[in-house]
Parts: sequence; structure tokens; C-alpha cells
Amino acid sequence: MVRLQPDPFLNELTNMFERTTEKGSVWVTLKHSSDKSKVQRNKMKTAGEKIEYRCLIRATDGKKTISTMVGAKDHQRFQSSYATILKARMTALKKRERKDKRKAADSDKKADSKKRSSAAKKASN
Amino acid sequence: MVYIASWDDFVEKSVQLFSSDPEKTRYSMKYRHCDGKLVLKVTDDKECIKFKTDQAQDAKKMEKFNNIFFTLMARGPDADISEVGGKEQTEAHPAKKGRGRKQ
Repeated sequence: MVRLQPDPFLNELTNMFERTTEKGSVWVTLKHSSDKSKVQRNKMKTAGEKIEYRCLIRATDGKKTISTMVGAKDHQRFQSSYATILKARMTALKKRERKDKRKAADSDKKADSKKRSSAAKKASN
Repeated sequence: MVYIASWDDFVEKSVQLFSSDPEKTRYSMKYRHCDGKLVLKVTDDKECIKFKTDQAQDAKKMEKFNNIFFTLMARGPDADISEVGGKEQTEAHPAKKGRGRKQ
């Protein structure tokens, strides 16, 4: 498990996405953490010290794991860079083809039903 | 594994899970480019909810969801997540101006 600074972490994350284009997955996990063990936290609580919480972000491709801690001040900047990476990389997801296909199918069905109803009326007449 | 069909339900339950146990709740995302699939998971080690998709439109929704969780996790469960992004930026600016004027 490699602990990095936020910017190198983002670079490594980009590399991970590149490596797993043909095969493999990327897992990214977010957790609210203070980076201290339970013992330390209990001690701090009894001493009355304020525990600083951050966001722990981990990423893995199944073989290599990287992580970083993002505090309340830099989380906005990190979150926009992270969003940019995801937007650029997640291109394999399907676009709204189903809705268009459904619309085309529905319009075809309507045309067919109209034809059938008009044919039925003609037949009855 | 509980897969939730509705996106809004998933978001609501995730935020609830986090608020009830911020120490243990974690949010995981798995992306497979080769299959074009995205799976989101939120768990507090007692309950687990998941959302899976292969739609590009859900990636956009996930971005907003990421913003919510980044804010919650970096600042704490009491953080204000209403309109994440826009309002926070406007709040930051007046504070800077105030410090400059005091002489």
C-alpha cells in the first residue's frame, strides 16, 4: 500500500486507468478517517484534544494499491481533478442508445397499430 | 448484496448510512473499461447497498454523488451538502475580502 500526496496520487490513478483499458478493473474507495489507530483516538478523546478527520482515498487495479488523505481545505480541488479524470477515462459506458431505440421502436409500433386499425376498419366496412 | 434499482434511493440510503456511522461507512467504486460496467457500493459493515450500471448518463450522476461524499468525508457528517460546489465557492470569497479591509 503506497501512501502518496494528492497530486502524485491523481497521476498514478490516471496510469491505472490507462493500464486497465483492455483488461482488468479499477477500484476506488472513499472513507472518512483520522489516520490514527483506535487506541490513539481514545487517548485523544480522554485528553480533550480535537481529532482531525480527513477523507482517505484508496485506488487499486487488483495488483497495486495507492492511497492518499485529503483534508477539508483541499477536497474541493481534489474532487474537481478527480472528476476530470473519471470523465476522460470512463468512455466505455453506453450512451443513451436504448431510449432512442425505444423511441424508434415505439414509433414503429404506433405506425403498425395505426395501419392495423385502419386496415381493420376498411375490412369491417 | 443488495442492488438498488433507483438512483435517488441509492443516494438517499448512502447518506443515511454515512450519517448513522461515519467511522465505519465507506464508498467503493469499481470500473471495468473492457466490459463497460460501473458498480458503486456503500457499506458500514452491517448493511451494504450497491448500484450497477453501464450507462454514460449514470457516470454524470455518480460525479455529483462523489462530490457529496467527498464533502461529507472530508468535513464530517455534519457538513452541509446542499448544492455542493456552487454555494461553497461564493461563501469563500467574502471571507477573503473581510481580512483585507481590516487595518
